[in-house]
Amino acid sequence: MKKIFKNDAFQFLSLSMGITLLVFAVEAAKGRIVVRTVYFTLLDVLDIIVAVSIFIGLFQVWVKPATIVKWLGKGSGLKGFLLVCTFPIFMGGSLFTIFPLLKTLREKGARVGALASFITAWGGKAPLLPLETQFLGWPFAVLRLSLVVLFAFIMGVLMDWVGDGPAKMDPNKEAREMA
Amino acid sequence: MRAGLVYLIIACGLLAVSHLQDKQKTKEAVTGTLKILYTILPVLIFVFVLMGVIQAYVSRETIAAILGEKTGVMGILYAELVGSIALFLPPAVFPFGGYLHDNGAAYGPIAGFVFTAILIGVTTLPVELKLLGKRFTIARNIFTFIITFFLALFIGAVLG
Repeated sequence: MKKIFKNDAFQFLSLSMGITLLVFAVEAAKGRIVVRTVYFTLLDVLDIIVAVSIFIGLFQVWVKPATIVKWLGKGSGLKGFLLVCTFPIFMGGSLFTIFPLLKTLREKGARVGALASFITAWGGKAPLLPLETQFLGWPFAVLRLSLVVLFAFIMGVLMDWVGDGPAKMDPNKEAREMA
Repeated sequence: MRAGLVYLIIACGLLAVSHLQDKQKTKEAVTGTLKILYTILPVLIFVFVLMGVIQAYVSRETIAAILGEKTGVMGILYAELVGSIALFLPPAVFPFGGYLHDNGAAYGPIAGFVFTAILIGVTTLPVELKLLGKRFTIARNIFTFIITFFLALFIGAVLG
């Protein structure tokens, strides 16, 4: 029984339930908004979440850490930087769909800077360009998209400087030795 | 067709190819997939509840009224705060940016809002903390906020 209470999934779900019930108790109309938001958002992202989870599952068994280290690890240099500062711009999805992917990349030996550049570049959101130009105009969209690459580069440098923390072991070293 | 559906079809196709190549590895991949779903779905539901609470108590009209009035440096900072806290799914970010513009907001604050709305999420923090750790999460969010400020300042200066 004690084990169930310590389980993360159980904690998050009961917390979600508790908050929803609390809002309902205070004002039923607001509670309905919460339930509706959860329902529609979940419906909206479920297919992407499942797809991404399948990608990651396959990725974990098929892609060797050495490949990731070569492209995104220490010493991957400008080539690696260029990759993570541009390629993710063309990806879709929400922030919470790319975190699991990044976790896997990190476990396979990617630098934290590469991960940070990846997230930032992903914020470029090229697939949404039609929306951006329609609502905010071409000058804004073009300027923002070009700044995203610079933004991603700066984030990578800063986060590499912050590093992984002393407690973390260096997966790069291990992977290099294996390679 | 929905983008998510396209991804799902591609994912299943790859799974089939993988199965033809190596059954054992594919079995491991599917186990991995289920583990990931088990890890992230409860956190996601929690995140969506937080989104719902924000949606229930803060109306978009209120946000637009606040951001339309503030200008300059303070306008950008306010916009960044709003973008960090309010959770918009990415496709909703640009229409809302346009709505802000119609309500008198300048391009600087709008850029601040767009960047933080996409890249920072108080509501996605639980996911990021769980998957990428405290050190990474804190540093990334702070740096993103700071650099966004300067980029927004620049965009505001160029576009007015």
